[in-house]
Amino acid sequence: MANDLNEDGAGRDKPPALDEFSERLDRMRAEPHEKGPPSAGAGLGRAMRISTELLAGLLVGGALGYGLDRFLGSEPWFLLAGLGVGFAAGLRNLSRMLNTDKG
Amino acid sequence: MIDLRAESPLDQFKIRPIVDLNFGGMDVSLTNSALWMLIAVGAIIVFFFLATRRASLIPSRIQGAAEVMYEFIFDLVRDTIGSEGRKFFPYVFTLFIFILVANFFGMIPSIPGTPKEMNTFTTTSHLIVTFALAMVTIAIVVIYGFWKNGLKFLKLFAPSGQPLPMYIILVPVEVVSFLSRPLSLAIRLFANMFAGHIILKVFAGFIVSLFGAGGAYALIGIFPFLGILAVTLLEFLIAALQAYVFAILTCIYLSDAAHAADH
Repeated sequence: MANDLNEDGAGRDKPPALDEFSERLDRMRAEPHEKGPPSAGAGLGRAMRISTELLAGLLVGGALGYGLDRFLGSEPWFLLAGLGVGFAAGLRNLSRMLNTDKG
Repeated sequence: MIDLRAESPLDQFKIRPIVDLNFGGMDVSLTNSALWMLIAVGAIIVFFFLATRRASLIPSRIQGAAEVMYEFIFDLVRDTIGSEGRKFFPYVFTLFIFILVANFFGMIPSIPGTPKEMNTFTTTSHLIVTFALAMVTIAIVVIYGFWKNGLKFLKLFAPSGQPLPMYIILVPVEVVSFLSRPLSLAIRLFANMFAGHIILKVFAGFIVSLFGAGGAYALIGIFPFLGILAVTLLEFLIAALQAYVFAILTCIYLSDAAHAADH
C-alpha cells in the first residue's frame, strides 16, 4: 500500500506535500505576527492596572507637591497643584494604556 | 490537638528572624522573608537545571514546561519591544519567574503546629520587596534610555508636535506620570498579594470560630469553607496574572526607553 502512494508522486520534482508546506510557511512568515483575541486573564490584568495607575499618579503628584511646600513654606498651594498634576498624570497613563493594545 | 484559636490575619506578614546576623552594625539577619526568597530562587535553579539537563528535540515533560514559559516570555518581549528587546529577555524572564514562583510558594499552606518561623511566607506581599523589584526595572529603563538616546531620552517628557504653551502643563504631567511608574508597579503586586492573603485568613478565621462555637454554628461553617475554596482558586489566578502584568509593564517601559527619541 505504501508503494502505491510513492508511485503517485514519483513523476514530480518535489513531493506535493512539501511544496504546499513551504508555501504556507512563506505566507505565515510574511504576515505580521498576529495576536489571537485577548484572553480573560489579559482583560483582568488591564482592569487591575486602571486602579493602580490612578492611585500612583495621585500619590506621586501629592508627595512632590507636599515636598515642595515643605521646602518653600508655601502650604498648601503646591500640594493642591501636585494633586491636580498627579491626577492628570494618572489619566495620561490610562489613556496611553487604553490607546495601545499592549497588555 | 491543633490550636483552635483564630489568629490576627496580619500575623502571617510578620518578619521573624531565623538566624541573627550582624554586619557592621547593620541587622542583616536571615528572616523568614529572606528564607522564602532563597527557597524560590533555589527551586527555580533546580527546575531549570533538571529541564535543560538532557535537552532533546522531543522534549520531556519538564523540558516542555520550561520551553512553554520561555516561549511565552520570548514572544511577549519580541511583540512589545521589538527585535532589540532580545537583550532584555534574560531580565524579563528572571523577573517573571521569580515573581511567579514567589507568589505560588505563598499559596502553600503551612504545616499546622510548626514554629511560626517555618510557616510559609509570601515575600511579594511586602511593599519594600515589590518596590525594590520595580526600582530595578526603572533603573534599567533610565540607564538604557540615556545610553541609547543620549539627552533625546528627555523627549519622553515633552512629546513633539504640541503648541508651545501646552508644554507648561504637559511636561509636569509627563514627569509625574513617569515617576508614578515604579510606585504603580510596586503597589499593584503588593496590594494584590496582601489583600488576597488577608481574605484567605479572614475566611479561615470564620471557619475556626464557627467550628469552635459547636452545634448548628459548626454546620454554618460550610459557607466560609466554600468561600475559601473559591478565593483560593482566584488567588492562584491572581498569582500568575500579577507576574504576567509585572513582566508586560516592564516590557512596555523598556520599549519606551528604547524608542524615546522617535516621539
